[in-house]
Amino acid sequence: MQCKIEVLRILRNPYYVFWSLFMPIVFYVVFTRIFNSALEDQQEWQAHYLMSMSAFSVMGSAIMTLGIRLVEERTQGWSMFMRITPLSDTAYFFAKMVGQTVIHTFSIVVIFTAGALINGVSLTAFEWLMCGLWLLFGSLPFLAIGTLVGTMKRVDTASGISNMFYMVLALLGGMWMPLEIMPDFVQTIGKWLPSYHFGSGAWSIVRGNTPDWTNFILLIGYLVLFVLLSGYIRRKQEVAV
Amino acid sequence: MESIIELNNVSKVFKNKKAVDGISFSIDKGEIVAILGPNGAGKTTTMMMMLGLLDPSEGSIQLFNNKPKERFVRERIGAMLQEVSVIDALKVKEVIQLFRSYYPRTLSFEELVDITGFTQDELKRRANKLSGGQKRRLGFALAMAGDPDVLFFDEPTVGLDVTSRKLFWNNVEMLKQRGKTIIFTTHYLQEADDVAERVILFHEGKIIGDGTPKDIKNKLTKQTVSFDATTMIRYEELLKLPCVNNMYEKDGRMYLVTEQTDDVLRALITKNLQVKNIEIDRGRLEDAFEQLMEKREVV
Repeated sequence: MQCKIEVLRILRNPYYVFWSLFMPIVFYVVFTRIFNSALEDQQEWQAHYLMSMSAFSVMGSAIMTLGIRLVEERTQGWSMFMRITPLSDTAYFFAKMVGQTVIHTFSIVVIFTAGALINGVSLTAFEWLMCGLWLLFGSLPFLAIGTLVGTMKRVDTASGISNMFYMVLALLGGMWMPLEIMPDFVQTIGKWLPSYHFGSGAWSIVRGNTPDWTNFILLIGYLVLFVLLSGYIRRKQEVAV
Repeated sequence: MESIIELNNVSKVFKNKKAVDGISFSIDKGEIVAILGPNGAGKTTTMMMMLGLLDPSEGSIQLFNNKPKERFVRERIGAMLQEVSVIDALKVKEVIQLFRSYYPRTLSFEELVDITGFTQDELKRRANKLSGGQKRRLGFALAMAGDPDVLFFDEPTVGLDVTSRKLFWNNVEMLKQRGKTIIFTTHYLQEADDVAERVILFHEGKIIGDGTPKDIKNKLTKQTVSFDATTMIRYEELLKLPCVNNMYEKDGRMYLVTEQTDDVLRALITKNLQVKNIEIDRGRLEDAFEQLMEKREVV
C-alpha cells in the first residue's frame, strides 16, 4: 500500500513528468535526429545516447524527486505525523525506495520505447534487459544522494543544490555529449564521477561488452559513501533536537 | 482505575531553555483531560513527549506500561497535531485508505468518512487542496483510523470557525461515550471547562494545578475581602488571620486575598478589628486567567 502510494505521488508530480520523462526524450530527439551528421556509426550513437538519456532520467528522479520530497515531508511535519503511526521508519524508507525503483523501471521502459520508436534502435532482448537492470542497479548511489539532499533544512536550498548537482553530474559524466569530445581536465574529473560510471556500464552493454569492473567498484563505493554520510547527518540532526 | 499514561518527573531542555520542568502526572483510562495554559507553557512539548516525538531530557514516560515509541503503543493511539500537514498529490479517500492500512484494527472507511462529514465530491479532491477547516477534519479522521484507545489533540480548535468547532466537540463527546481516553491542549479556559473532566494547568513548564475544572477555577480566582480601616492596622496582624494568603492596599482600602472568605470574615468580626464597609469579591475567573496569560506574554 505504502509503495503504491509513493508511486502514485511521483506520477502525479509534474516535475517528475517534465524532467524525467519529457526532457530526456526531447534531448534524445535533438541530439540524434537534428545534430547527427558528423558521426560514423549512427546506429551505435543512437543506442549510446538512448542509454545516456535513460541514465539521465533515472538519476534525476533519484536525486531530485526523492530528495526534495523528503525535505518537503519534513518541513510540512508529515514525517513527524508518520512517526505516530505504527508504520516503522524502516518500512517507510523501504517503501520509498521500492516506489522509486518502480518509477525508474517505468521511466526506463518509456524512454527505451521512445528510442525504439523514434530511431528504431534495435538491441537484442538480452541487451535491453541487461541495460535496464544495469540502470536500476546504478540508480542506488543516486538514491543515496537523494537521501543526502533530503537531510537539508529548506525546500529551496534542497531543490537548488540538487538541481546544480544533477546538471554538473550529467554534464561531466558525459550524459549530454560523450566525454571523449570534452577538454582533458573535464575528462579527468568525469572519470571519477558516479554519473560517468553509471552511463558507462550501459554504454558498454549496447556495444556488446559487459560493464567494466571499475564501474561496479566506483558505483558501490559511492553508494557506501553517500549512505554513510546521510546516515551520519541524520543522526547528528536527531541529537540536535 | 487503570492508569494508562504515566509521567514521572519529566523535564525537557531545549538549548538551555527549560520548556518542561519536572512534571509528573498519570492519566486513567476513560479520562478526558485538558492541558491548559498560556502559549509557551510547555503544553505542546509535553504532548510531543507523550507521543514519543521528543525524548525527555530527564524522567520517564510510559503509555500502556510501554515506552511511547513502541509499536504496541502506536497501534493504540491517535493524534492530531497543531500543524495539520497533508501528504501531497493524494486524494482524500486515498489518504484515508493509506492510514487504515497502517493499523491492525481499524474503523471502516465509511465510519471515517462519516467523522469527516465529507461529501463524495470532496473525497475525490486532492488532500492538499482542502481548506484549513477541512484539513482539520481529515486530520481528525486520520487520528481515528486505527480506532485508538487514547487520542491526543494539540490545540484542536485553533483556526476553526464556530461550526467546525462545534462539530469537533460533538465528535469528542461521542468518543467519550465510547470510553476513549482523550487528552487535549488548549489555551481557552472555556473549552477546558466545557469538555474536560480534569484540567492540568501548565505555567512556565510546571504544573500549577491539577483537578476538576471547578477546582482549577477556585484556584485561579482570587477571592478578596476588602474594607476601610478606621484606625491603623498593622499588615502583620492581618496576614496572621486564618486563611489569608496575601494582602494589598488599593485606594485606601485593604484587600485580603483568600480562598475562604467566610472564615476571614468571621475572624475580622471576632477579633473586633476597627473596619467598616466590608465587601466580598468572588473574583472573575476570566480576569484571573487572562492575567496568567498576560504575565507570560510580557516575559
